[in-house]
Amino acid sequence: MSAAVPTVGIVLVSHSAELAVGAADLAAQVSGGTVTIIAAGGTDDGTLGTSAAKVMRGLTDADTGAGVVVLPDLGSAVLTVRAVLEDRPGDRVILADAPFVEGAVAATVTAAAGADIKAVAAAAEEARHARKL
Amino acid sequence: MPESSEQPTVERAITLAGDLHARPAGALAVAASRFASAVSVTVGGATADAKSVLGVMGLGATSGQHIRIAAVGPDAEEAAATVIVILGEATKVGE
Repeated sequence: MSAAVPTVGIVLVSHSAELAVGAADLAAQVSGGTVTIIAAGGTDDGTLGTSAAKVMRGLTDADTGAGVVVLPDLGSAVLTVRAVLEDRPGDRVILADAPFVEGAVAATVTAAAGADIKAVAAAAEEARHARKL
Repeated sequence: MPESSEQPTVERAITLAGDLHARPAGALAVAASRFASAVSVTVGGATADAKSVLGVMGLGATSGQHIRIAAVGPDAEEAAATVIVILGEATKVGE
């Protein structure tokens, strides 16, 4: 629909490769599949943990020109992302403080609608106030 | 609700043909977000911002329920019409 205009990319950083892939699949389905979502989960050797190399590749692959919003699952994923971002000062990246699944879905839907990087990050962060019941 | 003369308000309603699951809620939020108008979705006594996928999912709207759409803003007419079409399409049985 808006092929000419790049949308904000999303990187999901989880300690679990399966969790990152699952959340990426869910967010893609809900948002209609038009946003680039990269799953960066697990360590380089496939165990539970996070990988700076995967996050780095994710940032590169997710950026189609409108910047990238990164969602970490648990606290120590934040350390990995921050370490990577220190080495990439020129990137348009926002690390969002958001619930992982809800934030991924809200951010991706907002990106699919063509919102800018700040609005996409805000949608992720507002997800913590959304009630399920 | 008070409204200013330059903010047209358009209200529409539809009866859901299926449950408002994650995918239709996402389609609704993506579509609503493309309009400048504020768009709200009301089911029973609960109202959500149509541009918030989590808010729309949180309504827990099910098949047969009556949904009211209110759009307020410069493109209210088109926004309400688009949202109604999506609600009709996306919640068809089988989704």
